[in-house]
Amino acid sequence: MTKTVIPIGPQHPLLKEPLAFQIMLEGERVTDSTMRMGYVHRGIERLCQERTFIQNIHLVERVCGICSHVHAMTYCRAVELLLGINVPPRAAYLRALLCELERIHSHLLWLGVLARNVGLDTIFMYAWRDREVALDIMEALSGGRVSHAVNIIGGVRSDVTPEQREEILEQLTTLDRQVNWLLGVVEHERSLQTRTKGVGLLSLQQVRRYCVVGPVARASGLDADMRRDEPRTPYDRLSFNVPMHTAGDVWARTLVRMQETLISVELCRDILKEMPEGPLAVRAPRRVPPGEAISRSEAPRGELFYYVRSDGSDTPARVKIRTPTLPSLLTLPQQLKGVTMADVSVVLSGVDLCIACADR
Amino acid sequence: MIRTASTLLENLKTLAYLLPQLGRALVTRPETVRFPFAPPVIPKGYRGRVEIHPEKCHGCGLCVRDCPAFALELQREELNTFKLIYYPERCAYCGQCEVSCTFGAIYQTNEFVHGTDDLAQLVVTLVDRKPA
Repeated sequence: MTKTVIPIGPQHPLLKEPLAFQIMLEGERVTDSTMRMGYVHRGIERLCQERTFIQNIHLVERVCGICSHVHAMTYCRAVELLLGINVPPRAAYLRALLCELERIHSHLLWLGVLARNVGLDTIFMYAWRDREVALDIMEALSGGRVSHAVNIIGGVRSDVTPEQREEILEQLTTLDRQVNWLLGVVEHERSLQTRTKGVGLLSLQQVRRYCVVGPVARASGLDADMRRDEPRTPYDRLSFNVPMHTAGDVWARTLVRMQETLISVELCRDILKEMPEGPLAVRAPRRVPPGEAISRSEAPRGELFYYVRSDGSDTPARVKIRTPTLPSLLTLPQQLKGVTMADVSVVLSGVDLCIACADR
Repeated sequence: MIRTASTLLENLKTLAYLLPQLGRALVTRPETVRFPFAPPVIPKGYRGRVEIHPEKCHGCGLCVRDCPAFALELQREELNTFKLIYYPERCAYCGQCEVSCTFGAIYQTNEFVHGTDDLAQLVVTLVDRKPA
């Protein structure tokens, strides 16, 4: 059989961000593939050592364009641990509210991308239209669609007024209805199922071996969610379940993500209803005492990890970011082995690539 | 034969699920908007143009120190003679200056800022303090 090498990327309509693949084909089947990354490496970890703790909030917010708030929040939490200050409950609730909205927006964006790559443009249009609702809420809350800039060390800076709260609850009802409908479409639409079932398989052993986290791991049967496993306010006061599937293919990932979106809508509602009154932030000193701290939270794509070390000045001595997408990216050559050329697009979109996160 | 029948049944189920949406789509307005756009609805809290109450500014430089994009510059000659200069093209519109200002002088409006090549708009003197 003829052997062919097909390059995909670094610039390719299939990929939202630059990433390069060399796909080795034997006829229609992929026999091997190599991956090259680093095209969007910006040296953010090193840059963090040049700027003050306060300037870094806005720098780490730009690691990712989709889950920007959760990066800033996790970083702020690590610095707050070093300072030994506790965030007021209302601030913790507001942070969680934005986290959940970001999850809704990220998962709907992903569904659109997957549907587009599979060839279902209608689902793409509907998913991105509904994602707009989440973006509108976030813009009204924070003043920005993508960079929210609500985190400050010691709390948050923007509040929800009672009128806004009612408005958001109304928008969430619309969102709930639309997401429910989309989940139904995903479950009913047979062409989506035939394209995604049994494609991009990842076993539980592979998930453990590559340290994969987030929806990709949960679709393969690894029960891990930072919101439940390391509960902080307000997640320790809210009840929610973590959707799990064991098939490990792109279809299972679709179901996990869509069910998570529904749970996030419900969590947003609970957070808004149970949000306590009180101050938004506590005063934090500029100089951070020497020491090191770690902070973990559940980003839309899985566990996000921050390590911050201070030498006693107003600039961190080291900031290390472990993003959830890097391990999922590294499994791609494994997932691509044996699939047909037409399924490459499904496998690549199945893991929810965020190359800016992975490269930093 | 049985397989064909079950496939047909599945297809009919899918169609039954999707038909109501198709009906709704026929009677509702399109989601897209016509060009040229109507004036955008900007939320009250939108982080836009940076402005200042010049009389409140003490020239302490906290905003300059905390600005992550280095969009502010303080040119000080003496205690009461200083200039606060703002470069809108560098600005990330994060609003950190507003948070850092202890006197409530610098603030953000919800006015959207367009890109420009006009030099007068690229370098804005926010405060030009001279001794009375």
